[in-house]
Amino acid sequence: MNVTVLAKFVPNPTGTPSLGPDNLLIRDAGDGALDPGDEYGLELALQLVEAGGGEVTVVSMGPAEALAGVQRGLAMGAHRGVLVTDASLRGADALVTARVLAAAVGRIDYDLVIAGVESTDGYTGTMPATLAELLGVAAVTAVRKLEPDGDDFRAERQTESGYDVLTAPKPALITVTAGATQPRYPSLKGIMAAKSKPVETVSAADLGVSDLTPTQTVAAVTDAPAKAGGEIVTGDDAVARIADLLADAKVI
Amino acid sequence: MALLRAARPAARTAEPGARARRELAHVLGQRKLFQKALPGVMHAFIFWGFLVLFPTIIEAMLAIVDDGRSLPVIGQAPWFLFVVDLFATLVAVGVAIAFYIRKVQRPDRFRGSHMEEADKILLAILGIVATLLLWNATKIALGQTLHPGAEPVANALSNLFGTGQPTETLERVFVWSHVLIVLSFLAYLPKSKHLHIITAAPNVYFAKNGPRGRLEPERIDLEASEEDLRFGVATAKDLSKKQLLDLFSCTECGRCQEVCPAWNTGKPLSPKLLIMDIRDAVVAIDPTGTVELQPLVPNAVTDEVVWDCVTCGACVRECPVDIEHVDTIVDLRRNLVMAESRFPTEAGTMLRGVEGPNENPWGQPASARTDWIGDIPVRVLAAGDPAPEYLFWVGCAGAFDDRAKKTTQSVARLLNAAGVDWAVLGGRERCTGDPARRMGHEYLFQMLAEQNVATFADAGITKVVATCAHCFNTLANEYPDYGANLEVVHHTELLSHLLSERKLLTTAGANGTVTYHDACYLGRHNGRFDAPRDVLGSTGLTATEMERARERSFCCGAGGARMWMEEDGDARINDTRFAEAAGTGADTLAVACPYCFVMLDDAAKAAGSEMRVADVATLLAEATLGEPTARP
Amino acid sequence: MGATWVYAEVTPDGAHPSALELLTKARGLGGEVAAVALGPGASSTAKELGEHGATMVYASDDQAFADRPGRTAAHTLHALAGQHSPSLILFPGTYEGRDVAGCLQALTGSTLMANATDVESSSRARTEILGGTKIVDVNLAGPEPRLVLVRPKSFPPEPSGGTAEVVAVDAVTPPGATATVVERHAEAASGPKLEEANVVIAGGRGLGGPEPFAMLDDLAAAIGGAAVGASRAAVDAGWVPYAYQVGQTGKTVKPDVYIAAGISGALQHVVGMKGAKRIVAINKDADAPILKIADLGVVGDLFQIVPALTEEVRRRASS
Repeated sequence: MNVTVLAKFVPNPTGTPSLGPDNLLIRDAGDGALDPGDEYGLELALQLVEAGGGEVTVVSMGPAEALAGVQRGLAMGAHRGVLVTDASLRGADALVTARVLAAAVGRIDYDLVIAGVESTDGYTGTMPATLAELLGVAAVTAVRKLEPDGDDFRAERQTESGYDVLTAPKPALITVTAGATQPRYPSLKGIMAAKSKPVETVSAADLGVSDLTPTQTVAAVTDAPAKAGGEIVTGDDAVARIADLLADAKVI
Repeated sequence: MALLRAARPAARTAEPGARARRELAHVLGQRKLFQKALPGVMHAFIFWGFLVLFPTIIEAMLAIVDDGRSLPVIGQAPWFLFVVDLFATLVAVGVAIAFYIRKVQRPDRFRGSHMEEADKILLAILGIVATLLLWNATKIALGQTLHPGAEPVANALSNLFGTGQPTETLERVFVWSHVLIVLSFLAYLPKSKHLHIITAAPNVYFAKNGPRGRLEPERIDLEASEEDLRFGVATAKDLSKKQLLDLFSCTECGRCQEVCPAWNTGKPLSPKLLIMDIRDAVVAIDPTGTVELQPLVPNAVTDEVVWDCVTCGACVRECPVDIEHVDTIVDLRRNLVMAESRFPTEAGTMLRGVEGPNENPWGQPASARTDWIGDIPVRVLAAGDPAPEYLFWVGCAGAFDDRAKKTTQSVARLLNAAGVDWAVLGGRERCTGDPARRMGHEYLFQMLAEQNVATFADAGITKVVATCAHCFNTLANEYPDYGANLEVVHHTELLSHLLSERKLLTTAGANGTVTYHDACYLGRHNGRFDAPRDVLGSTGLTATEMERARERSFCCGAGGARMWMEEDGDARINDTRFAEAAGTGADTLAVACPYCFVMLDDAAKAAGSEMRVADVATLLAEATLGEPTARP
Repeated sequence: MGATWVYAEVTPDGAHPSALELLTKARGLGGEVAAVALGPGASSTAKELGEHGATMVYASDDQAFADRPGRTAAHTLHALAGQHSPSLILFPGTYEGRDVAGCLQALTGSTLMANATDVESSSRARTEILGGTKIVDVNLAGPEPRLVLVRPKSFPPEPSGGTAEVVAVDAVTPPGATATVVERHAEAASGPKLEEANVVIAGGRGLGGPEPFAMLDDLAAAIGGAAVGASRAAVDAGWVPYAYQVGQTGKTVKPDVYIAAGISGALQHVVGMKGAKRIVAINKDADAPILKIADLGVVGDLFQIVPALTEEVRRRASS
């Protein structure tokens, strides 16, 4: 079974990201990393091919620095990588991303495409479903467990009240949750081996994708009113204050 | 021997003078054996006896070939006869003590040792000296000795024998028995733990010079071809000559096991059993090479054993023959981490944090490294700034952990009060790599060491003060291997110095009692015992010592990257140590390392104890600057 | 502007609350407001949807929407939109909303904005980024209908008192392969996984024993979508299993709200939960470090506050 894993290179996932003068996220500050949310999918992919044979391909779209994210995937054990990098892709929205990735993924033989549920920087969470439709394959999102089952996959999908079990014929696309796997830490042997694994760097033009016009543009960025953060309460209204915060956070 | 020849070399020949001195102290002087009084006496009697009695073996052999012949020159000298008689008796006494220890005292440290084998050897030794004494007694009875009075014991025994033919026969029987027992003993030696009489002396000679806290670097060049790369120890053939010698020097005495924090809290690791198990694996190597070598982990020792170690070095410190258990464990870890990527999963967060963009074990933003400063006047070195006299190496714990931050702040205030020219690197500081190195990730450590050394060079740093015992050890002992040329002091040393120079004056005169917990990487690994005690002494607090103190301090449980792992077993190491501290009745437990601080303070809270845990620096700051003694 | 449609998620209990929120918002945008409700029970939600402003409800009770989720709804919506040409379709930011909108975008080639916190028109919406510190207004372009996923609970639902005309629609069977639901499992008792919960309520040493964790379970149940976690101290003490542990050597969680009860906030713990969008700390010790990082720190007795909070949450839910 061949698995293609989508890997996003994100700005320092634990730091405070910042916006450039063009109101786009600064993506080349030199402290980027593979999106931690993508490591769960990589781990699942590796487990699947370790159990059933085949190859794992890491596909990423991003600045030239994103090569580091691809290499992280290769160090974990993926077999080869594809990096789509193109100055014209800066500021690409989810639709452009999906189109580019569809073209990149479509050139590879795969039984399964795996993505994270949402990225750590943009947390849009819609791109994989768009991509699946563009690829013409079945999609199961928010998967916490996946098993190949003959010509199908059997997936446990996280729901708000529990989980559903779905079957999807191969080839398929899934997104995996943080609870799905425990990503491995690449060994040094893996890091060394990664250096000799093939990585193909392509541009949008190489992939034949021409319409790169984003349909969303930032009109204005303003500072949010400072949160009342750091407030300490002691009195009788403490309970009401917590309940207010829960309501404000839109969880009750 | 073939094994030893084929093994990886160990660079352990430098400073032969220091090695020779250690040989004299540890081998001839039996210094480490005397760490335990009765077993020390026991072993010294037997060991010194054997050294002295060596000529008598030759004498007995001569006597077999040529009846009545003795050693030239000394053979009939009264002093020689006396010495032989005395030491043969002492050996017999030593054997008796040994049996008393093993059969009556039965200390727990022998659990897992080969007891029957030891009994056989002790009986053989007893046989050797008994036959010697009896042989000498028969010679006295037969009038072959010129100075029977020089041999009081043999002389007394000679009363058992007549002067006739039976005694002549017995004389032959004793001398033959003596030689045969000696020969069988020699034949049995290589198969037994008694091989140590051959291997111990070289093992002591080739032991580590300098601070024990320094690990041997393992250079990793990712550009090298894969065959040239070695990641620690995977199979028996990866062991260094010293590591092999360690295995065959082990006497199974169990002194290491007795002091091991892991073993003492119900974990599977015993340093003794580790050495024995690896030795068994080495002995079982198929010399023809047709049977493929199995990895040592998990075949000889389990993964759990390898990860239980806190690298506190108590075992190494106790070992009478200078076995270096910790180095072997770290070498096993190196293979597990770098080649196999196999380690307790929860520690992965630390490795990711250290290697990640923020380069600290907690993955905290590098920009938060100066958050502790608050309103304290602190010079943060920007690129190109003039170098301070002392760089205060804050460390990740000192920068991010709320408890350790208090220590950092106390030190900063004290340095200001004493007028020291100091500064911090702020966001340019990164993990020293110690936790990665103790985990076995030598490459990650190497990268961090090289980067930090470059930062030091860039900033023109020559003197460093560190509050973290682990940072201190790494900067002082390990960074020189990566090109650093620094004078590194621990904050307790600098504070002690400032007090003695009267740059700091205690005014407040604290009341109460305090007990000090020696951090392994400050004390046992680096011999810094007095500075923290001196500082405490100046605070006005009344000091009381725990039973296990100084060289024999018991770890807090956080060393060896255990800080980043979950702990199983009957008891937790930090709880065990805290209970000992609380047992002193002191109201404050002083620490000098942020790891100890976190571990022991957690234990205090878990125990619901009122005992306060605080760094030496904070206690001094309170006594010197009259800082509020707010409880954490 | 043209019509605004709301994708109304159908649950066994009727319309998903988000549908009512989105309809309330849609009413204010001008233009016609319609709802699309697809799945078993859809037609019975029409009344509720109408009361909240939908003048038209395109409904289908077809089981296919539940059994072959995502694509079936997206293709049906695509067909409907082709017939009626709405300008804007609002989706709830739920798993289902994301799937349907994402798939629909591939079919329409239109823009899809996620995580919106406000919608001005079919060509402009608003979101918050960088942990809610920046408000970003986004211009939407490209073919209509434009698609916007709105964060749940962004608008309070207000009934308008209207009624909706129900238009029955047929499910479109999408070409190609679609994943099929074969089993459904409710895990109401155990709640969501710690890593995936919107709200995490964690207990520490201050709980004093295993029993008070039941109190946290009650609060989690009252909130819904909440999971219970613990600090290392509570796990080490054996009060709850290791699976509960949040922190450096436990799980890393990033919920919308993290409630730390009786947790002092040692770095070991903070590392695992600092990514939470809002942090509430309840601690009797006013010097506890957790209070420094809390958005709302409560100094007080958790044994009084937690049950009272549970009551308050229940009261607000039922009012």
